[in-house]
Amino acid sequence: MVAVTTNVGRNGKEPGAANVLKLGRAFRYGVLGLVGIFFIIPILASARFSFLGNNNTITISAYTELFSTPQFWSTLFLSVKIGLGTVLLTLALLIPTVVWIHLRVPKLKRVFESISLLPLVIPSVVVTLGVITSFKSLPNIIMGTPVILALEYVILALPYSYRTFDSAVQAIDLKTLVDAGQSLGAGWSKLLRLVLLPNLRSGLLGAAILAFAFCLGEFAVASLLSFTTFPVFLVQVGQVAASQAVALSLIARLFTWMPLAVIIISFGQRNASSKKKTVSLAKTIEQEETTGIA
Amino acid sequence: MTQATNTDISSNFRNGVKVDLIGLSRYYKDVAALKSMNLSASPGELVVLLGPSGCGKTTALRALAGLEVLDGGTVMIGSKDVTRLPASKRNIGMVFQSYSLFPNMTAKANVEFGLKVRKVSSSERSKRSAELLDLIGLSSQADRYPHQLSGGQQQRVALARALAIKPEVLLLDEPLSALDAKVRSQLRDEIRRIQLELGITTFFVTHDQEEALALADRIAVMRAGEIEQIDTPLSVYSQPTTEFVAEFVGKVNRLAGVVVSQEKVDVESIGPISYDSKNTPFQTGTKVQVLIRPEALGIMISDTGQWRLVSKSFLGASVKLNLTNPAGQRVIVELSTGEATLIEQDSPLSLFGKSDALLVQRA
Repeated sequence: MVAVTTNVGRNGKEPGAANVLKLGRAFRYGVLGLVGIFFIIPILASARFSFLGNNNTITISAYTELFSTPQFWSTLFLSVKIGLGTVLLTLALLIPTVVWIHLRVPKLKRVFESISLLPLVIPSVVVTLGVITSFKSLPNIIMGTPVILALEYVILALPYSYRTFDSAVQAIDLKTLVDAGQSLGAGWSKLLRLVLLPNLRSGLLGAAILAFAFCLGEFAVASLLSFTTFPVFLVQVGQVAASQAVALSLIARLFTWMPLAVIIISFGQRNASSKKKTVSLAKTIEQEETTGIA
Repeated sequence: MTQATNTDISSNFRNGVKVDLIGLSRYYKDVAALKSMNLSASPGELVVLLGPSGCGKTTALRALAGLEVLDGGTVMIGSKDVTRLPASKRNIGMVFQSYSLFPNMTAKANVEFGLKVRKVSSSERSKRSAELLDLIGLSSQADRYPHQLSGGQQQRVALARALAIKPEVLLLDEPLSALDAKVRSQLRDEIRRIQLELGITTFFVTHDQEEALALADRIAVMRAGEIEQIDTPLSVYSQPTTEFVAEFVGKVNRLAGVVVSQEKVDVESIGPISYDSKNTPFQTGTKVQVLIRPEALGIMISDTGQWRLVSKSFLGASVKLNLTNPAGQRVIVELSTGEATLIEQDSPLSLFGKSDALLVQRA
């Protein structure tokens, strides 16, 4: 459609159409630019503020002081640990559940989707207390430790992780692939390893990144349960040293983007080397990137 | 494609095995998908399961594959009872209606999948996938991914993949229904060629009667979970035992008539038509309903003719003519294109029976 209009415009037969096209393009770039500015200005402003010393001098003291604070590292590691634990638990829970729903009880897809959205509707404090009450009988190794936070986060991140993985499963013809694999002699473990996981990779990746990003940014529940995670530390710092807090928030952003970038780059290379459908996969990864950052 | 490799492939197959489905039953809630269905295929035979959607043909095929749980009955492959075996242990090759190639693997890797699962060495796998890709004429596309192949090519690869494991039985579940007409008939012929070459016992599910007639050694016409008739394509077409089969396998005219002798019925507005009274002896004077194929009727231009042409549709080698008479009856006649050019819009026409009526039954 677009290509056709362009040709007509170039032939000079219908200059009106070309103008409309140009206008449309200008509008698109305009909107894109505005959105970019909307996102980039706060980041630039906070970066500037974090490098500002007394009397408008430029200094990196906010950063050096942060890096030399032991709590910075300990809270960061704690959050990363909780994040990884959450990701593992989420995947262990999601893969069999979603696959089972799609294969055996496709009628319940909607029901499960709605259930996965509940954490958005129920206040997180209620979910938190609910989880604690349900797991009250568990030994203290779980209740008194950050493990309980991972359990909380699995549930709280469900609206994002579930939908991402679910739509990936939706996108492949799961039943036919499973039938085909079984008729060729593959049992469940081989099916999962050779067929399902490779074809659901982008969905798994998306779910994992979203769950991880959620853990690295969650404040309310961690603070309610008196764990000093990275976001909690950030707020504490913010109460005493403003420029350090801003520097910290920039670092936090970096830490969510870094695993993203690593995964995207490594996936990109793998695709290029295996002559994969590079374009479409790059597109999916791009989508994940945007959702991850947002 | 060399003849030598093909012989290699066929010699790799055991001679086709016998397959028996005995009393297969399957219920969804209260609805029966299969009602105690019996079907046997002799070694190397191609049996087509033909029927409208919901008749149970796919359920029967999936039950044979082990992909559907049965409520009753026995599945025998050769002399082995496989009813309790899961799909992955049955050694059955299956091609599906929707594109079922693994999107993350090349054509070659797809063909080799079943062998890889069986822990066949990689050199042996390569050899076999090369043979099979050659057999289906896609050697040059071995490194393509499914999304880089056309629909027809994907189904060919799916066929090669199913054959790679040297299955005892080949199952095809409407493998051509997603393809366009030309590719469909081409691939249909190719499937038959390969099936005959390998001598593998094959079940083919379809709702397309033309496909069934062209492919089958025997056609099992199914209706509501049961086999209505099972016979050679010719017999199913020209000697249907029930009205349902007559109407499902080909077009049919339905007219009222009276039996005038052991061999003839007098059909209203047409005249005497012969019928085979072997299975359906009626007393003279019995009012009957007569089913006649469009090509079993002939047309004459005569001044006393009651029939008039309503419309013609050109089918290539033949022409379909819609006729009507003052009583409001409608009849379809199929004539060769040459004959049909003589029939004009306003000509008074009369009809006669060129060959036997298909089926005569009590009105």
